[in-house]
Amino acid sequence: MTIKSYIKRLCCLTAMLASFGMAGAAEADSVTPLRPVVSIFSAEIGGAHMLDTYLSPLRYNGLHLGLAWEHIQATGFAPERWIRRLELSADYNRTHNPAGNHRNHALQAQAQWSLMRRWRVAAPTADLQLMAGGETTLRGGMLYSGHNSNNVVSARGHWSIGAAAMAVYNTRLGRLPVTLSYRLSLPVAGVFYSPEYGESYYEMYVGNRGGLAHFGWWGNRFDMENLLAVDLHLGATVLRLGYRNRFATSWVNSLSVRERNHAFVIGIGGEILSLGYRHATTASPHTISSIY
Amino acid sequence: MTKLFNYIYITATMLALAACHDEPQWDNTAAGNLDALWTIIDEHYCFLDQKGVDWDAAKGKYMAKIKETAGEKGKISQIELFDILAEMLRELDDGHVNLISNFDASRDWVWEEYPENYNERLVNENYLHFDYRRTSGMKYQVIDEGKVGYLRYGSFSSGIGEGNLDAVISYFKDTEGLIIDVRSNGGGYLTNVETLVARFITERLHAGAISHKTGKGHADFSKPYDYYFEPASGRVMYTDKPIIVLANRGSFSATNTFVSIMKSLPQVTVVGDTTGGGCGLPFTAELPIGWSVRFSSAPIYDSDGNLTEWGVDPDIKIDMNNDDIAAGRDPILEKAIELIINYKLN
Repeated sequence: MTIKSYIKRLCCLTAMLASFGMAGAAEADSVTPLRPVVSIFSAEIGGAHMLDTYLSPLRYNGLHLGLAWEHIQATGFAPERWIRRLELSADYNRTHNPAGNHRNHALQAQAQWSLMRRWRVAAPTADLQLMAGGETTLRGGMLYSGHNSNNVVSARGHWSIGAAAMAVYNTRLGRLPVTLSYRLSLPVAGVFYSPEYGESYYEMYVGNRGGLAHFGWWGNRFDMENLLAVDLHLGATVLRLGYRNRFATSWVNSLSVRERNHAFVIGIGGEILSLGYRHATTASPHTISSIY
Repeated sequence: MTKLFNYIYITATMLALAACHDEPQWDNTAAGNLDALWTIIDEHYCFLDQKGVDWDAAKGKYMAKIKETAGEKGKISQIELFDILAEMLRELDDGHVNLISNFDASRDWVWEEYPENYNERLVNENYLHFDYRRTSGMKYQVIDEGKVGYLRYGSFSSGIGEGNLDAVISYFKDTEGLIIDVRSNGGGYLTNVETLVARFITERLHAGAISHKTGKGHADFSKPYDYYFEPASGRVMYTDKPIIVLANRGSFSATNTFVSIMKSLPQVTVVGDTTGGGCGLPFTAELPIGWSVRFSSAPIYDSDGNLTEWGVDPDIKIDMNNDDIAAGRDPILEKAIELIINYKLN
């Protein structure tokens, strides 16, 4: 067998494999559409306003910094009608008392997962989508007040379920594709941590840990988070500019906790399609985007 | 349907507003700061009833002082305000209560009015002969021909490493008894109390009970929670020989708790003076002007359910006078040595 015949056979084999692959992809497309992931890394900076009467009766104001990763994708089931969203974030607040001589430091992390029903609304010039559904949030961290004695820290922990909603409007700014979006997170009920009014961490340390978990509802706790974002589509890259507002308050055991953040958001990311062997694509695959 | 939505909306709004409980904030004026301080103590201080303090009357009394001091000029300096607020806090008669500014820290330290009953230089020179070992904030040596162990712990704020403590107690293995000198030890971390006591017990010890305020009322307290110390299993222990604890009025706060717990052990004798008290775990708050206020927040009871806010009495009361100091004698330490030597004879 000559080298020429080898090359001919190899080409035939490649063509056959390719045709099997195309056929498989065509078959897969009819069953499983492609569901690209919107993935955005963002940073935020803004103002923080905090009150925690376990540490001080006074309100503290200062700087808010945060990092977040948002991941949105159409669901595997009914992808035209449902999307899921995951956001992992961490934030730091450095605040000071009214006199400006004491500083508090708050470090918290949050995981938020939501499942939302999507409705597409035909707008005159572009595509408007409205989404609403359920969400679960886990948030925890601590507020540290270094100048205090036995109440030097206030631990935070909160798990909730609630409502989530999004509105997305895809349009153009001149020739630039732009996505305007608004997200609302509204926890309704859950469980959160709070010490009793004058309970010390030493007492917990020696074993008295009863009564620290509280059922949270709108009668003793209210949380809300809003994000307004403008996503500028610069080729395959998305530049996000936005505003995030987070509000949390609780009132239990005569302890008042309030936290309010306003922040400017800047992020970068894009719509990513993972193509494994099961996702071999046709020339015109059926793609279902989550928000774009 | 619209009515139902309205009902749900109104209910949800009312509930959300219920969670939004705002706290009063005070103006940064003389009256505002006094009001803030008075309110903090009124709502958080844990011994108002036990001490019979007429705190309601205090507010009017010291507000009048502010007006009187301001006089016709209508102004009051920061130092004048500080002194008036500090005077108001002294009504509480509590060493754990301090007003802390950038120029002063008010205090009500009872031990300053009593014989000091401790002279570090005298002990170092005449009993340790400037020859001692130091680790983990502890100073230690064997004295009296190696029969007596001497352990000086100057502050419960100094962390005690378990390995360090092993080394220290091993050093005392051939002694006939141990003296633990916590005179003028102003307190620190209660966790260090547990670390130390755990070397001197053979079984689980009921150390005492701790309570806390459950609300703003003067009588709003939780049921005292009993807490226990476990022996330091697997560590070097000192449990079968007499221990003498030396205390004075300067043995305050966590040291007061240490003396109270040690006194409950059968092999322990407390020698010296009544401790300084301070059985309320302190919390801190602040005033609009930026000054901090520290106050007793959570009462700690001894194993018999008593408050030791006014101190723990010694088993053997001995004072150290100026003649003793002039003669280079420490009668409290000498009594402790005598007790250990005679313990074997008895």
